[in-house]
Amino acid sequence: MTASIKISLQTAEKLYSSPLGEDVIALAPVTLEIVSGELVCLVGPSGCGKTTLVNMMAGFEKPSAGVVTIDGRPVRGTDPDHIMIFQEYGLYPWRTVLGNVLFALEAKGLKGKEALAKATEYIELVGLTKSKDSFPHQLSGGMKQRVAIARALAVEPSVLFLDEPFGALDAFTRMYLQDELLRLWQEKRPTIVFVTHDLDEAVYLGGRVVLMAPGPGRVQKIIDVPLAWPRDRIGDSLAHYRRELFKEFHLVHQQAADVASYEI
Amino acid sequence: MLASLSKKLLPLLALAAFVAIWQFAAGFWPPELFPSPLIVAAALRELADSGVLWSNIAISLARFAGAYLAAIVIAVPLGLFLGRNPRCRQAIDPLVQVLRPISPIAWFPLAVLWFGIGNAPAVFIIFLAAFYPVLLSTVSAVVGIPPVYLKVAANFGARPGAVFLRVIIPAAFPGIMVGLHIAVGTAWIHLVAGEMLGAQSGLGFMIVDARNFLRTDWIMAGMLVVGVLGLCINLGMRRFELWLGRRWGGVA
Repeated sequence: MTASIKISLQTAEKLYSSPLGEDVIALAPVTLEIVSGELVCLVGPSGCGKTTLVNMMAGFEKPSAGVVTIDGRPVRGTDPDHIMIFQEYGLYPWRTVLGNVLFALEAKGLKGKEALAKATEYIELVGLTKSKDSFPHQLSGGMKQRVAIARALAVEPSVLFLDEPFGALDAFTRMYLQDELLRLWQEKRPTIVFVTHDLDEAVYLGGRVVLMAPGPGRVQKIIDVPLAWPRDRIGDSLAHYRRELFKEFHLVHQQAADVASYEI
Repeated sequence: MLASLSKKLLPLLALAAFVAIWQFAAGFWPPELFPSPLIVAAALRELADSGVLWSNIAISLARFAGAYLAAIVIAVPLGLFLGRNPRCRQAIDPLVQVLRPISPIAWFPLAVLWFGIGNAPAVFIIFLAAFYPVLLSTVSAVVGIPPVYLKVAANFGARPGAVFLRVIIPAAFPGIMVGLHIAVGTAWIHLVAGEMLGAQSGLGFMIVDARNFLRTDWIMAGMLVVGVLGLCINLGMRRFELWLGRRWGGVA
């Protein structure tokens, strides 16, 4: 493979201290390498540490032990080159669509016409030109998330993190935005780490799917999905990988059930 | 059609009924003790014609505006600071919780000792009445800013100054406005009290002065003016909020 390693985790783990003072493992040591331009999905039930994992990569949380590097440099905090997109959009309600995108560009140091041109370009890219003067409360959930995506892409980051970005949307909007995301990814080619609790979403989007398991949070299995995009949602080839993922997930479930019955 | 008509008509009807009952009840007492609405209206005219009313209104409004603005200028920045500094907030909170329940009126004896009779004690009392609501609502507005707003700003690399001006202040703004609205009411209520106790002018003084001359009609006229002005200030405030709300994308 010619592509270079973009994100690297070496036995990165996260502990929390409980109110009783004991260390609780939020995420057992993870070793993972993500190649430049890859689209990786982290999937698992709640408590599996997928949000902790993506927060460590994005610089919102520090690993308790181990190392997280992007472009060979240790992650020491958030970075405008690595943008996170949240489920709750994080749009500023007092700014219009245009104003929200401009916020990101101004933070980067762009001004005046240059910033305006760039913001307009990215709003058009996500198909919201008609709504550019609307305020977030006038938009549907799907449109809000498109604004957040436009705002993120406008600063041209090399890495995009998405933490259950479509989790609050209805099924139709979710499918539409999945395809939109794939289109934008193929156009701009950032490295994408996509967190979801939806197995179908993970296998439809991901070039690789990292299946995670709870109790303690850990990586269970990494499944390659070597299919070209766009993928056929109901095709046999996708169904094959879907089956593999579901089988593996069932195993996680079984283990959890075993542990539970053992503890009783 | 009928609903909107009754919505406008009912309050007027209630007002008319109130005046009628007042007029009726006043018939049972001598006018020096309980003046009727007609007598109070005449007194109002008398006060307006002599110019006493207007000069006192002007003085009261000036005191009110000065003290209210001073409270905002001090309480809003202090609230923003405390909202952003959990340590300082924890340190100061007990102090505020002890000072806040003390009625501004209770400060009056000290205020007169410190500042003498005149403008200052009244202004001081209005200031205190406005200060706490503005401070507390500013603090809770800042504390209640959704963390995702700050995460986004940090992620895009916004500098601390820009985060403060472009995220924290606008995000806290609707909450601060709530405090400003509450403070307008409490400050206006305490204006009269402050002027009754220590001032030599203003609407509160006008009422006390009328009592000294046993002019109950002037007392009631003064009370009426205080009420109507309070209503006007409140309406003005609401107008201002609506206007801001439109500019703020409907979140205020």
